[in-house]
Amino acid sequence: MPFEIPKIKYTGKIREVTLGFGDRAIKIGGESCYPFYTFEGEMPHPPRVAFEIWDCEPKNWQEWARKPYEDVCHDPVLWAKKCTEVYGAEMIALELISADPNGMDRDVEEVIKVVKDVADAIECPLIVWGTANDEKDAVLLKRVSEACEGKNIAIGPISDKNYKQIGATAIGYNQVVMASTPIDVNLAKQLNILLGNLGVLDDKILMDPTSGALGYGLEYTYSVMERDRMAALTQEDTKLQHPIICNVAPEVWKIKETRLTKDEDPKLGDERARSIIIEAITAMTMLLAGADIVIMRHPDSINLIKDMIKELLA
Amino acid sequence: MKRFKIRFLPIDIVYTAEEGENLLDFAMSAGININASCGGFGTCGRCRLKLIEGNIEYRGQRESSGSETDKKEDIILACQSYIKGDAIIEIPIESQIDKEALREKIKTKVLSARYDILSLNTIKPNPIVFKKLINIKLATCEGMDDLSSVIGAIKKEIHKKDIKVRLHALQTLPSTIRDANGVITVTLFDTGHYWELIKIESGDTTKRQYAIALDLGTTTICGRLIDITEKEKDGPRILEELSDYNAQISYGDDVITRIMHTKKKGGLKRLHDAVVKTTNSIMEELIGASGIKKEDIMFIVAAGNTTMTHLFLGVEPTYIMIEPYTPCFLSPPVVRAYDIGINLSRETPIFSFPCVSSYVGGDIVSGIVGSGLNKKDGVNLFIDIGTNGEIVLTGPDWMLCASCSAGPAFEGGGIKCGMRAAKGAIEQIRIDPVTFEPTVLTIGHIKPAGICGSGLIDGIAEMFLSGIILQNGKINRDLGSKRIRQTEGVYEYVICYGKDTLTGKDIVITESDLDNLMRAKAAMFAGCKVLVDVSGIGLDDIDKIIIAGGFGHFIDPFKAQIIGLFPELPVEKFSFIGNASLHGATLCALSKTYAQEAQRVAQMMTNIELSNNKAFMDEFIAAMFLPHTNERLFPNVIKKIKNSIGDKSV
Repeated sequence: MPFEIPKIKYTGKIREVTLGFGDRAIKIGGESCYPFYTFEGEMPHPPRVAFEIWDCEPKNWQEWARKPYEDVCHDPVLWAKKCTEVYGAEMIALELISADPNGMDRDVEEVIKVVKDVADAIECPLIVWGTANDEKDAVLLKRVSEACEGKNIAIGPISDKNYKQIGATAIGYNQVVMASTPIDVNLAKQLNILLGNLGVLDDKILMDPTSGALGYGLEYTYSVMERDRMAALTQEDTKLQHPIICNVAPEVWKIKETRLTKDEDPKLGDERARSIIIEAITAMTMLLAGADIVIMRHPDSINLIKDMIKELLA
Repeated sequence: MKRFKIRFLPIDIVYTAEEGENLLDFAMSAGININASCGGFGTCGRCRLKLIEGNIEYRGQRESSGSETDKKEDIILACQSYIKGDAIIEIPIESQIDKEALREKIKTKVLSARYDILSLNTIKPNPIVFKKLINIKLATCEGMDDLSSVIGAIKKEIHKKDIKVRLHALQTLPSTIRDANGVITVTLFDTGHYWELIKIESGDTTKRQYAIALDLGTTTICGRLIDITEKEKDGPRILEELSDYNAQISYGDDVITRIMHTKKKGGLKRLHDAVVKTTNSIMEELIGASGIKKEDIMFIVAAGNTTMTHLFLGVEPTYIMIEPYTPCFLSPPVVRAYDIGINLSRETPIFSFPCVSSYVGGDIVSGIVGSGLNKKDGVNLFIDIGTNGEIVLTGPDWMLCASCSAGPAFEGGGIKCGMRAAKGAIEQIRIDPVTFEPTVLTIGHIKPAGICGSGLIDGIAEMFLSGIILQNGKINRDLGSKRIRQTEGVYEYVICYGKDTLTGKDIVITESDLDNLMRAKAAMFAGCKVLVDVSGIGLDDIDKIIIAGGFGHFIDPFKAQIIGLFPELPVEKFSFIGNASLHGATLCALSKTYAQEAQRVAQMMTNIELSNNKAFMDEFIAAMFLPHTNERLFPNVIKKIKNSIGDKSV
């Protein structure tokens, strides 16, 4: 009798979510197998990388992270354009750093103007990432929703504290929400149920399981994402059948291992190559655990990841 | 040391206190029970007294404990007050511990098929301590002694076992024998290895044989006076039953705060004295009410959790709360009344139930024996709801048990308007899903004073069904009802406005109360789930669910399922047996076969430690949702919610 590779029986499927509008709209999700297990099921839409940009000049970025964007990073619109036109970005993730009440605490309307300008300047899908401060985001992301009407953007992170305020306007302006929970399957599911109760449609929800960088809790995120996908695909847990987004860039680029130069610690080797590899490994791990979108910073690490996706799906 | 007169109103009793004494300690030692749940740290704000006149030194932070009205009205916290001179103090209604509710015979609400607990009249008494009538020949020549005559007679007439004698039995032996011309009644204790001669009485006293069964609860102590003589016809076995609050309450609500108190100077003695004092007073009343003679009580059987058993015997419980959670003993020794200050004849043996682990104690072993689950076929789940929730899963030839700290929420602790199930406690709530107006029913049908555990379960289920609370246990802020409001930054739902309550204060359920209850119910359910999972069976395989605990009388199983406290199984599978622990103690008093059975049960139970169990943490988070994150576990509840909430589920 010939040997047969045992196959997993899948009973569920990840929902398809569309981001953006018109010709440049992108569909994600739709998997009927574990990540890249195309010999067992389908992965109709490849995972995507979103380029991270900030709504203000990134003064604290490492020199080697800034370099590709040195000429444009003072202006979010130019920055977004360079990502799409020069580096071939398929999605832009705009981080609203300047709105953070513990930082610059910029006024909501000033921030909204930046969001609107960026949204109008690009054609590819836009992801708008708030401050992760529940109160500020409740106000800020509500306005983002309104300002980007018709563009089908993704807004988040949404927590169990502010899901009602943000969720309600997202329904009204037909945007996608990113439900964020602290590395726990049950909490993720609970927030999805609450959003569903609120009336957010199933194909308008992405899950953010909370990311950790390589060496900084990546394995926790990995196990939780793995469990999310097992529940969704093999245990018919419909409330977990949503695409997953991981905000990798801010996690990776704040750790010591991407900040120290070779001079400061010779054992660590070249800082640029090292940082790019750490970002790529973190993103790769999350893709292997089930991420549908990874938000990344450096064009070189992004290229590595795009190659990897292409090879695995070839 | 200066001494002062303190007069307490409304009971109008005057006591003499020493200067500098803490008012709460003093009131407690004077036998006046005042509500306090924080152990006297000044944080719970429940031991509120009104200073009518006099001199009190206030050492606490008055600002944090009292509201503006409190200050105007001279309301003080007893635990923060120290005696400086004569004073007149009024105990406001909400600070009194109401004994009355406990004294009332609780009418068991039959909500489902009643579980058939063993009838006492079918048991042939075979107690571990018993009386025998013997005739002895008095010494007629030199070279004989009275004791040898007695022992010889016992061996000849009854048994050939070794007999050892307690000194106390000897001291008046010569005249006892001669008073009744050699007809005497001996009281013997069968230790298993030998018989112990405890007492010798003249004449025949074998018609008067009694024992006391005790349930030493963290909150409540219950006692029963039992007739253990052999009867020809069905006579009453239980002569009297009484309960009272454990006087230890004033030193903290749960076992952990009590253990912490033992570390204070004199703390262990204080707690030991408190529980013994309550026990003595219950016995005093049992004896008084039944009209029997104190000396005819032959022994006591006591069931308590591990910590309570330690404290009852005056043994340091400290390491029960420190990892790796080591109790001093699991099998308690047999002690004598005299050893621990029990007010009975000095040699009276006191038996305590064996414990299973630090947090699964003799009360559960006793509860299992009392429920008869140790002899029952099938797979059954036993849940004892108390400050600590204990769960036992029994199958053919195996038992798994676990303890999860549900916290005192189900007994009204840690809840803003919570109270124990006493007079004036709201126990049922109905909420109109359109107007959000509530209807409440209290114990004793008087003006409400607060909400007890069963009222909280009822209330939360109703609030959930009417859409006032969301699945995450938070209050829905968008309903536009006046009853939903924010006080000091916390959302709450008003159940009764002050004008309708006994205390004049609004009765509310706040979001922090909901947090506490969510945690409590999640812990109970997660405990059940983990235990069932560990056993390898499914929830559906459970044949019966036995709910025990004084609190269990009032729970509506369907309401408890709506909030996800109990697993969703047919309501007929649920039974309520009330105080199973006391019943188990009663059985063991009647016959030593049950006492041996208790030993077997304690050894048979496998304890699943939940405090460091990963699956438990996972299940706990999953259960922190109404009814549960996994909707498949509660299909009927989900259906009911969908019907009842409909569009309002935002």
